[in-house]
Amino acid sequence: MILPYILRRLAFLPLTLLLVALATFVVLRLTGNPVDIFLDINRTPEQVEALTKRLHLDLPIPAQFLLFLGELLHGDFGESLQFNGPAADVVWQRAGATLQLAGTALGLAVVLGVAGGIACAVWRDRAADAVISSIAVAGQSMPSFWLGMLLIEFFALQMRWLPTSGYGEPRHLVLPAITLATILLPNFVLITRTSIIELMGEQFVVTGRSKGMSRARVLLTHILPNAVNPVLSFLGIQIGTLMAGSIVTETIYAWPGVGRLLINSIFHRDVPVVEAAVFFIATIIALSNLAVDVLQMLIDPRIRRA
Amino acid sequence: MPTRRTLLVATLLAPVFAMGTPALAADKVLTIGAAVFPDSLRPGTGSFASLSLMTQTNDQLVIRDNKSELHPGLATKWEQLDPLTMRFHLRQGVKFSDGTDFTADDVVFTINFALDPQNAYAMAARINQIASATAVDKYTVDIKTKAVFPTLLRGLSDIIMQPKAYTEKVGANGFAAKPMGTGPFIFQEWVPGDHYTLVANKNYWGGAPKVDKIVIRTIPDGSTRVAALAAGEAQIIEEVPIDLIDQVTASGARIDEIGTTAGLVLTFDPTIKPFDNAKIREAFDYAIDKELILKQILKGHGELLQGQVLTKGVLGFDPDLKARPFDPAKAKKMLEEAGYNFSTPVPITTQNGKYVSDTDICQAIAGMLNNIGVKATVNIVEGGVFQQMSNVLKMGPLHMIGWYSLGDADFATVWYTKAGHRTNWNSEDYDKMFVAARSTNDEKERVKIYHEMQALAFKENPSLFLFGLPSIYGTTKNVTGFGAASDKVLRLTEVELK
Repeated sequence: MILPYILRRLAFLPLTLLLVALATFVVLRLTGNPVDIFLDINRTPEQVEALTKRLHLDLPIPAQFLLFLGELLHGDFGESLQFNGPAADVVWQRAGATLQLAGTALGLAVVLGVAGGIACAVWRDRAADAVISSIAVAGQSMPSFWLGMLLIEFFALQMRWLPTSGYGEPRHLVLPAITLATILLPNFVLITRTSIIELMGEQFVVTGRSKGMSRARVLLTHILPNAVNPVLSFLGIQIGTLMAGSIVTETIYAWPGVGRLLINSIFHRDVPVVEAAVFFIATIIALSNLAVDVLQMLIDPRIRRA
Repeated sequence: MPTRRTLLVATLLAPVFAMGTPALAADKVLTIGAAVFPDSLRPGTGSFASLSLMTQTNDQLVIRDNKSELHPGLATKWEQLDPLTMRFHLRQGVKFSDGTDFTADDVVFTINFALDPQNAYAMAARINQIASATAVDKYTVDIKTKAVFPTLLRGLSDIIMQPKAYTEKVGANGFAAKPMGTGPFIFQEWVPGDHYTLVANKNYWGGAPKVDKIVIRTIPDGSTRVAALAAGEAQIIEEVPIDLIDQVTASGARIDEIGTTAGLVLTFDPTIKPFDNAKIREAFDYAIDKELILKQILKGHGELLQGQVLTKGVLGFDPDLKARPFDPAKAKKMLEEAGYNFSTPVPITTQNGKYVSDTDICQAIAGMLNNIGVKATVNIVEGGVFQQMSNVLKMGPLHMIGWYSLGDADFATVWYTKAGHRTNWNSEDYDKMFVAARSTNDEKERVKIYHEMQALAFKENPSLFLFGLPSIYGTTKNVTGFGAASDKVLRLTEVELK
């Protein structure tokens, strides 16, 4: 039941990627010329001609795209002009840093967000709720670059506990992960809070309480399992936000991830690298959404039957 | 439960672990926070950020200092044999870091490599008048040029010498993966998008560097760069944002600053009416309070261009030419007399973040033009798009751009010639003078011609000449021997950590 579903969904992945690749290709090709950007202001006509030929920019765009697809079928995104090597390797080198940052931030956001949301719902309209909810709203409206500066100022300059930026050791990860998590965390608080409060009014909860179950027991055995699904579907949607947020975070903290690479390569119209990075990000988004859907099916028999 | 003895051992060992290996702790490591970080170590890309990394491992025949003055490098002296031939005498006994000798063959190889269009060597434009390079003997090279080429030496200061044997063995890509040369530092590790680590070349012909190791880290965000300096994670940072200069000094670090040779200008398109009228272009010049912008936005850093694209001290700079004063009443009157239609929209095209405070300066200028009734707006475009517009010379009525002269008027004035293909303003007289100035090796004669060219440009106003841009570094107090570079190339052999 589930396996055929996964296979069916996976069968559509290449089509999604193809459309993403086409859109990316056309937009990049129409808005700038990598040869001019690479050779810069002093370029000679002979150099432009040689490089244009090498990159097949003398062909019409549809033909260029077909050539690109041909390379792609061989599992190759082509050579990056800027990085002087295979584009797939360039992205692959940076993938670890992005996965590490995004994974940690997502973990932080989910754990703290769900815990905060539960606290808000349990102590609804009391002091704890007011405090956590206001922090969540404040966090949501705070631009990451500003939060990043504040964190660096306090933890790296005042307290000297953590480095300002960089990559390599676990301590380098702390501030970027907090910054990125802050983009998502408030939403997890609010979603968890709302779904628990909604569930608290459900008949099975009222019944449980009237049968004499403790509040804690009702919460643990009846409410929380039912609150998992809304949080999961929200998580699926947030993967895209997470990837977008990582671009800013990586820039603030000089984190050598795919987000910064992507922006830099767009500026250079380095099509092979942009395509490889977009594939990487699109695949992550697609696969994590699939994982969320499958998890939901496993958890909730109603979805499985539908 | 830990016994007293294990506790004792742990206490004794703790400092050892905390310190890491003693040998490493003794190493003097200099960390630099770079603003712009090239994507690869390929030689000859157009950017100075790239040259800045490449010159750590490789030297040029002629070396440029922080003030853009030229000195003997791998060539100890040179002489003009005839107007088209320059003979270079190479430094003897210099070795590449793999132990092979640096000889005339390497020079010939490098020049041929750079000039081959297939190699996409952008810096080749600086030496594109070279016809051939020939080895006379092991330590003598003759360079022949297609025409008289007065900027040959200056051009060669952008070309790093590559080892022939090594480059042929590992290929161009192999060289980019692990550059090797005669330079002050030796490649150790390159992590794209993160850092570049090099160790000192103890046998460097110019004297061994005073630090053991350098780490050039990319820190793209200006505020983070300043924070890294304040925290002591980096001892030198590039491109201190102007509004963070006070923060740097407050943290106890120092500011080191020099003027670049980049002239920031606002260029007209005279094919768009009414900007074909030189009087209208001139009127705009009176409407802009450049001193105020220099004081308020650039906070006094950089210089006011004196009615010319060249910055002070550059060969060809005319000290007699002065910027027009700020006189909005006169500007308005001139526009009215010229029959200017005040409802004409005047978008100012600019990039954001390409030059120091570029967008802010454009906003201020648009405001000043609005004050005399001109409908000016700011149109920010992304770099790739800007270049595309520039290729077809469709930039709109006004656009902001910076031209680097790199110490010689030739490199900056070329952009106002028809052949330069960067402006729709054309003048046959200007073009003729440009060719005349690069057709003689007589420096006095050249300077005289450049003065005439600039007088013409000042009268005709193809551009409004605004500011010479600053190059601003921050260094921690324990750094000595570092100097801000006008071409933004890191020169680190004299840097010491106290």
